[in-house]
Amino acid sequence: MTSIRRAGSRGARWRTAAVLLLLSLMLLPTVRRMTESSMTAHMLIQYPCLMLVGALLVKKLPTRWLSGAQRWNELGITGLVGSALALSVLMVPRVLDLALVDARVEVLKLVALGAAGAALRLSWRRAGMVVQAFFLGNMLPMTIVVGTLYQDSAARVCNAYRLDDQQALGLALIVIAIVAAALWLLHVATRRTGNSATYPRDQDVVHAALRQPQRGP
Amino acid sequence: MLRTTLSALALALLGWWSAAWITQNFQAWTAEGARRLVVIEQPVAVPKVALTGPGLVDADLHTWLSGAGRATIVDFVYTRCPTVCTTLGSGFQQLQHALAKETTDGVKLLSISFDPTHDDASSLQQYATQWLADPNRWAIATVRDADQLQGLLKAFQVVVIDDGRGGYDHNAALLVLDGRGRLVRIFDDTELELALNYARSIAQQGASE
Repeated sequence: MTSIRRAGSRGARWRTAAVLLLLSLMLLPTVRRMTESSMTAHMLIQYPCLMLVGALLVKKLPTRWLSGAQRWNELGITGLVGSALALSVLMVPRVLDLALVDARVEVLKLVALGAAGAALRLSWRRAGMVVQAFFLGNMLPMTIVVGTLYQDSAARVCNAYRLDDQQALGLALIVIAIVAAALWLLHVATRRTGNSATYPRDQDVVHAALRQPQRGP
Repeated sequence: MLRTTLSALALALLGWWSAAWITQNFQAWTAEGARRLVVIEQPVAVPKVALTGPGLVDADLHTWLSGAGRATIVDFVYTRCPTVCTTLGSGFQQLQHALAKETTDGVKLLSISFDPTHDDASSLQQYATQWLADPNRWAIATVRDADQLQGLLKAFQVVVIDDGRGGYDHNAALLVLDGRGRLVRIFDDTELELALNYARSIAQQGASE
């Protein structure tokens, strides 16, 4: 592990620099105003970018901290519960309006997005299929409900954003939820066939290893 | 697993608490809903603003609103507005019609333009003529100093944005202000009857105090 890290250390340093650059870019007042000037960009550019930054930076933390944290995160449950709640709260229309006028809400929103990205990264693989299904089973229908609401509402749900912007975001949220569901199902399907193919082989290896010493004497 | 259960529960509580904070205890999901809810419990005093318009020369807004037995229904408009302000305009016309039958003149109407650059004296006068505004009931004005506008809009959480077609989108509503110059209730622009009854009742209350 350490040798791999050392070998790729220059690349890793470049990657870290790129992530930090993305972070400072997203926090730059001009860029923030730009991404927050449209409801669609606010939710579909700023939200994912900050989550991505959180997800990429969290692995740079000392391994000891991470393994310590993971003892509180069995099956990724804590991380997935936390990010599901954070993302649900951040989808409330009032948050988008408040973030523009209340600096406290803006800071909390930015931190929560980074933390949600980090928590997802630390928890997703640990979660396994059942917990993942539970997470997506909550998040994706909720996203579709929110998307439908944004798309169908004749009134603006945010005072600071236009109706056409809101409707475009609504449609995009529905599409994203459906694509995410499809990708996950595809992933599950391919992993399953992969497992059934490798599982007997692993077992054979184990059996062979167990049998061998008995044959020896 | 105990540690995971505890930390997940702690996060669930934090999530619940922040959702309750954002939604005013799960009563308001939009900024507009929250604005209307909060003002009921915490009336908003008008900031210092000088108004100008037909029949109003450098009127201080607070002074204009104040008086025992007074109440005012206020809307924010811009005179070129083709959409929501025509709803407001015809709504105010109906309110004026209803008020004309009254013997007291406690309840008044005030339309404030948030576009002082375009809405000069003649535009405002034209708007008044278009909607047959009776100057004794319905004043039409804008801020005298453009730099006082933001303070007024911010205090009442009136949000004005570019509509992408050369005009504005804004959270149109009927704002009821009492005789002490405080915003006390906000109604939908279609809730004319409710707004009028509420304004009448606080005007009566103010008169008997």
